[in-house]
Amino acid sequence: MAVVEGFLVATLLLSCLASTSYGVTFSSLQKTLVVSASNQQGKVLKGGEGNITITWSYNNSFPAGTDSAYKTVKVKLCYAPISQQDRAWRKTVDNLEKDKTCQHNIVSRPYSPSNNKFTWSVERDVPTATYFIRAYAYNSADEEVAFGQNTDAHKTTNLFQVEAISGRHASLDIASICFSAFSIVSLFGFFFLEKRKAKSAEKK
Amino acid sequence: MEGSYGAPPPPESVQKKFALPVDSEHKATEFRLFSVAAPHMRAFHLSWVSFFACFVSTFAAPPLLPIIRDDLDLTATDIGNAGIAAVSGAVFARVAMGTACDLFGPRLASAALTLITAPAVYCTAIANSPASFLLVRFFTGFSIATFVSTQFWMSSLFSSKVVGTANGVAGGWGNLGGGATQLIMPLVFDLIHNIGSTKFTAWRIAFFIPALFQTLSAYAIFFLGQDLPDGNYSQLHKSGDKHKDNFSQVFYHAITNYRGWILALTYGYCFGVELTIDNIIAQYFYDRFNVNLHTAGIIAASFGLANLFSRPGGGILSDIMAKRYGMRGRLWALWTVQTLGGIFCILLGKVGSLGVSIAVMIIFSVFVQAACGLTFGIVPFVSRRSLGIVSGMTGGGGNVGAVLTQVIFFRGSRFSTETGITLMGVMIICCSLVIMSIYFPQWGGMFCGPSSKVTTEEDYYMSEWNSAEKERGIHMASMKFSENSRSERGRRVESAPTPINGTPSTYV
Repeated sequence: MAVVEGFLVATLLLSCLASTSYGVTFSSLQKTLVVSASNQQGKVLKGGEGNITITWSYNNSFPAGTDSAYKTVKVKLCYAPISQQDRAWRKTVDNLEKDKTCQHNIVSRPYSPSNNKFTWSVERDVPTATYFIRAYAYNSADEEVAFGQNTDAHKTTNLFQVEAISGRHASLDIASICFSAFSIVSLFGFFFLEKRKAKSAEKK
Repeated sequence: MEGSYGAPPPPESVQKKFALPVDSEHKATEFRLFSVAAPHMRAFHLSWVSFFACFVSTFAAPPLLPIIRDDLDLTATDIGNAGIAAVSGAVFARVAMGTACDLFGPRLASAALTLITAPAVYCTAIANSPASFLLVRFFTGFSIATFVSTQFWMSSLFSSKVVGTANGVAGGWGNLGGGATQLIMPLVFDLIHNIGSTKFTAWRIAFFIPALFQTLSAYAIFFLGQDLPDGNYSQLHKSGDKHKDNFSQVFYHAITNYRGWILALTYGYCFGVELTIDNIIAQYFYDRFNVNLHTAGIIAASFGLANLFSRPGGGILSDIMAKRYGMRGRLWALWTVQTLGGIFCILLGKVGSLGVSIAVMIIFSVFVQAACGLTFGIVPFVSRRSLGIVSGMTGGGGNVGAVLTQVIFFRGSRFSTETGITLMGVMIICCSLVIMSIYFPQWGGMFCGPSSKVTTEEDYYMSEWNSAEKERGIHMASMKFSENSRSERGRRVESAPTPINGTPSTYV
């Protein structure tokens, strides 16, 4: 019993230590990057087929030297508010360590103020949803220091939709139906066999 | 013992030699876990394995939900509804199963149900919308009504001295499937994904594993199992050794026995809670503590895996308490353990760190599952004639508890999951209080001793038969059972007044 108590106390202490790290908050970041994507209004991108070209650059209207700490840029695919509704696993939270808005990485590049372009083909594991693109700038300690996105602050403009693959194949469909039919036929077989056994018991 | 009630001695063809020691009903008086001797231990192994398979199928979706929810574009409400659907089908299926067992025997009933729900599992692989996902989970969920056939079968083959243990181990090892699936499905998914399938295809292929397992176990039961020590229902019906009972009488005696209803309610707050946790816990750890799919599956699995020893432990505890304190001991043990489960549930919702959360969850699981085992230490004594339907009602009540709990606390976004868990704990404690109202005139209840006017086990079990039926002699199994259940008096057995060892016509 004492061993169990000791174990519980140790786990408690360790877990307290583990949860004291703080993340960078989104509201502390400046929107110093200009991001644009090539999606056309009303066109739906298909998983595994469609592609989208993203360009990003530094916004020169900010004071010089603001981008001196930027080392890398990571471009991510992010969920628009409509795809976050009633889905707590995609929630936007200010603490970037807990934030789940941007779950898919598109590309990671060393920082350069201009001439950044990337054509991304939509992967097959991207779910059906409405998205926008966001780029984070990281410093050498791999912390977010700035961002840019191809939509406005309320995430309502320039959104695009992806239609995922279903994952179904004809072979799967056929296998499912066949095995199901086999099960039902077996069931009738069982009843038939049982009736026969009972009749022979009666005859004895 | 044979023939002491005026019935002719059984013919030589029925005098079989059994591998285990048996009582007058040919029920085994010992439970030997590592034997597969027919019919007792073989039936035990067949029933727990097939029940395990059904549990694996019913809870195969939760550990893969992080993938499925992206493929089918599910919302939290869709997921909640599917989880509710998965456990709601079995509410009526369990009662129907109880009837089927009473009328056709557990072997045929469970093989049939296992086989007829296998298509739902195969078709999960071709689900393509929230609606179809809900439907496949709904129909797959019917399969866990095989719980009733498991308990019925064990109660038919094992005597009252070991029935709690047999029921507890069979039920517990079957429920293990709910835990094992949280490990199996992510593993199978990973394997298929690494071979080359995309995520959205890999999860579909993974569902063939539980489906095939279910199909195979149905075959095993049909070809290797036997309903009763003396044979199968269909043979015994035709040869006249077993009377085919009247459904409306069986049904009437089940629903008019208030103890069945009380146990149905309390089972909703041990087993129902277990089902709810099986549905929500992997997502809870994945989302709240940010662990990956694999880890969430392992943690969730440890909840269900505790069933390996905790539910059997409940059954064994029930039998131990009965030895000393009789039925009153069984009732006290049930109330105590279930209330403690509620307390740990409240705690689980309150702790915010991963390590402590896992520890509390494991302790909580032990208590809640032991309470399930303890419940089925009592169920076999509520009714002999309507054992199937009473088992079905109790089992169904378990599922009603799961439905209610998920609807109130875990659907959509009204409560955070941790608040829901705490409130569920409060509900467990409140609903367990009704155990105090269970009273057996021949044995007593939690706070009262046996009735002051001398009531025997025969009086209680014979009240389920009317005089016309007794004249036809079809109540004999209940007579034998009354005799064998005298052990529920506890240590008082030696000093108890001997009941009139006589002809049935004495009791009206």
